[in-house]
Amino acid sequence: MSMAKFFVGILLATLGLNAVHADELVVYSGRKDKFIKPVIKQFTEQTGIKVVLHTAKSTALLNKLRVEGDRTVADLFISNDAGNLQIGSKLGLFQPIDDKMIGVIPEQLRASDNSWVGLSARARVLVVNTKARDVDFVKSVFDLANPKLKDRIAITHSGNGSFVAGVTVYMLGSSKDKVRNWLTGMKANAGNKLFSKHSKIVKAVASGKKDIGLVNHYYIYRHLAKNPNAPIKILLPDQSKDDIGVAWNVAGVAVSKYTKQKANAEKLIKFLISKTGQKQFAGANSEYPTLTGVAASAEVPAAGSYRVAKVPMQDLGKYRNETLDLLDAVGMP
Amino acid sequence: MRRRVGVLGLISGLIVLIAAVPLMFVLYSSAQLSFDGWQALWSKRLPDLMWNTLSLAVMVAIGCFILGVSSAWLIVRRNFVGRGLAIWLMVLPLTIPTYVFAHIYTTLLEEDGWLGQAWLSVFGDMVAIPDLYNVGGVTFILSIAGFSYVFLLVRSALGLSNLSLEEAARIQGASALSVFWHVNLPMLRPAIAASMALVVLHVLSDFGAVSMLRYQTFTLSIYLQMDSRFDYQGAAGLSMVLVVLSMSFLILERFSRRKQRYYSSGTQQRHVKIHRASKFEQMLIWLWLGTITLFAFALPVFWMVSWSIEAWLQDYIDATFWGYVSNSILVAGAAATLAMVCAFPVAFFHTRKRSLLSNTYIQLSSIGFVLPGPVIALGVLSFILFVLSPLYGGMAALLMALVVRFLPLAVQSQEASLQQLTPSIEQAGRILGAGPLENLRRVVLPMISGGMISAWVLVFIDALKELPATLILRPTGFDTLPIRIWIEASEETLELAAPAALMLVLGTLPALWLMMRSEARNK
Repeated sequence: MSMAKFFVGILLATLGLNAVHADELVVYSGRKDKFIKPVIKQFTEQTGIKVVLHTAKSTALLNKLRVEGDRTVADLFISNDAGNLQIGSKLGLFQPIDDKMIGVIPEQLRASDNSWVGLSARARVLVVNTKARDVDFVKSVFDLANPKLKDRIAITHSGNGSFVAGVTVYMLGSSKDKVRNWLTGMKANAGNKLFSKHSKIVKAVASGKKDIGLVNHYYIYRHLAKNPNAPIKILLPDQSKDDIGVAWNVAGVAVSKYTKQKANAEKLIKFLISKTGQKQFAGANSEYPTLTGVAASAEVPAAGSYRVAKVPMQDLGKYRNETLDLLDAVGMP
Repeated sequence: MRRRVGVLGLISGLIVLIAAVPLMFVLYSSAQLSFDGWQALWSKRLPDLMWNTLSLAVMVAIGCFILGVSSAWLIVRRNFVGRGLAIWLMVLPLTIPTYVFAHIYTTLLEEDGWLGQAWLSVFGDMVAIPDLYNVGGVTFILSIAGFSYVFLLVRSALGLSNLSLEEAARIQGASALSVFWHVNLPMLRPAIAASMALVVLHVLSDFGAVSMLRYQTFTLSIYLQMDSRFDYQGAAGLSMVLVVLSMSFLILERFSRRKQRYYSSGTQQRHVKIHRASKFEQMLIWLWLGTITLFAFALPVFWMVSWSIEAWLQDYIDATFWGYVSNSILVAGAAATLAMVCAFPVAFFHTRKRSLLSNTYIQLSSIGFVLPGPVIALGVLSFILFVLSPLYGGMAALLMALVVRFLPLAVQSQEASLQQLTPSIEQAGRILGAGPLENLRRVVLPMISGGMISAWVLVFIDALKELPATLILRPTGFDTLPIRIWIEASEETLELAAPAALMLVLGTLPALWLMMRSEARNK
């Protein structure tokens, strides 16, 4: 009956796995592992507080938090998208963070009820091939719908969270009709070729397959770090006086409503919005630190040197379903 | 006798009840969907989804049919150098999950990928490199990932088919092709139907490849409905439609098989003669089988190996990585064991007491096949949270979901071997004084051990690769190989996923070997 022993053994071994210790801080994280691990490690070294990272897609984690309710083991939630943070807040999954502590972060980059706070920001920008002809007229993201750019633009499909967040900003900054027309024109210009990843867009622009692409700023610098001579440049769109400005989005953190370790959870947040934490958290991905006075990496256009859309980050969550409906109506793949 | 069946029926009823938990969840949630909600789904989403899903299923079925039947026929009917190896090569693609295929091929087809480079050197810029983000691409991925099921089933059926019929047809003047068309193919119908059903069900429930390639099938759409819109009711509504679709397909398939009985009159049976292939034929055979192997196994594995070496050189393979490996193997092993044990009463009850009740049990136990993984996970999660909440946080939820998902595989293979066990043997045991339990232990179980092992192996292979339910239900901080592949791939650092993918392949190999060996022994 050695077979039976084997089966019983494997069952017992599996049931013995898992188990989070009571004194460990559990973070549901939707941010890329490699960007967040170094910061967390530093936090543990400084404070001795152990952290368990449970990585998955932000939306999947929100679903998990929602279904788990008061049985959740999560103490904190980190997401790469303000929209997700705000939706979690609306679902009542978080609790307010100490006002005095996060007051140092600009109001626009956190929830008005302090249920979450932004940690790093990214800009939606255009990447342009420096050798491309006849692209000088492009000054705004809305120009991507210009028929002159037929088959020359690179955009992600509408399943991409950053794309959706960007569209929300444009919708709130202008009007639904304008954005609907814009999407329709862009759909025609992109043809059948939609990109699954931002890195592929930058690659396609660098190789000259496409002339211009819509991306988060750091993908450009990531490509340039590997290929310093790539013929690409950043173009900050919508900078004229009447334009809406560049769309931003933030990654941020919230405290679970049902945490039993609020003090330690706030210690982690305090670390993340400290100067050291900010440099690490944002610097790992060439993003903008949200703490005023901490500069982004040198290659990135300095915050404050260009117009940013005046849309509060929490609106990315409030209006996301409207954006999704709009994308569906246009039939954006 | 009566009492025992009563107990058996009770136990299998209980198991079926657990397997039906996700279905109840779907029924409950979709009952809350308002009339307007249904109408919106019906008019906006369903027509496209229906078309996308069904056309994909048909195309993948055709793809798998061509690859699976041709390779099975060549290998059973022709003798050529390396035939034993060829059998293995046709089964090995089962070790690679669909999402890994999808990731690897999108990478290979990029401009600086191996296939992209090869394409450019042949066609230059004249013809664009093919893109996988469409129905053709998904068909390609799912066909190379799924044809092995067709190969396995058709191969065993071909090995059993009867030469006399073929010769009779040849004597009547039928050409070889016409014999294949009019004699072999009809004889193979049950095997082909069963394997096609398997392929189509895999297509309907596939999450990995379609989500990677963004092809909107029911499963992906259900997932997106829950995931980005937090609309469980809409998701449940879509799931209901999918369940009805798959269930009617399953019942249709079972029904069409019911009337078919192909067997020959015992003693006259002669085994098929295997033609020795000429040199030229051997070359053609290997050209065909080699091409299949190249795309369905060699290329992906070569990619995994080369990036794994890179990862190893850069010290990415550390203790944490081996932790993922052991996590995966333990979870898959435990799920396979539980599924094997749970499947037995259901299969046994059905073979012994064939009735409307047992039939219903069988249908209900196949829920795991027709519901998408994310929905099963959510159903199980809600069940555990509200009914068995002390168990939450550990392995219980994940194991339960895996068992529910793969129970049908275990039931089917046990049912098949139980059918070969004549009741008289069992009755003899009872007459000789064995009690029901002793009889079970000493007569029934040893005789169906082959079916038990293949049940275990089938569940193990699929559980090892499982992604959507594991994503949702794994305990906090608990990562398995598929989870790591998924994380690395979504971080656009796919290369780092190579060692994990390779370990999945290696981890499946012993299980596959076990299955092939027991199959060879049964012959």
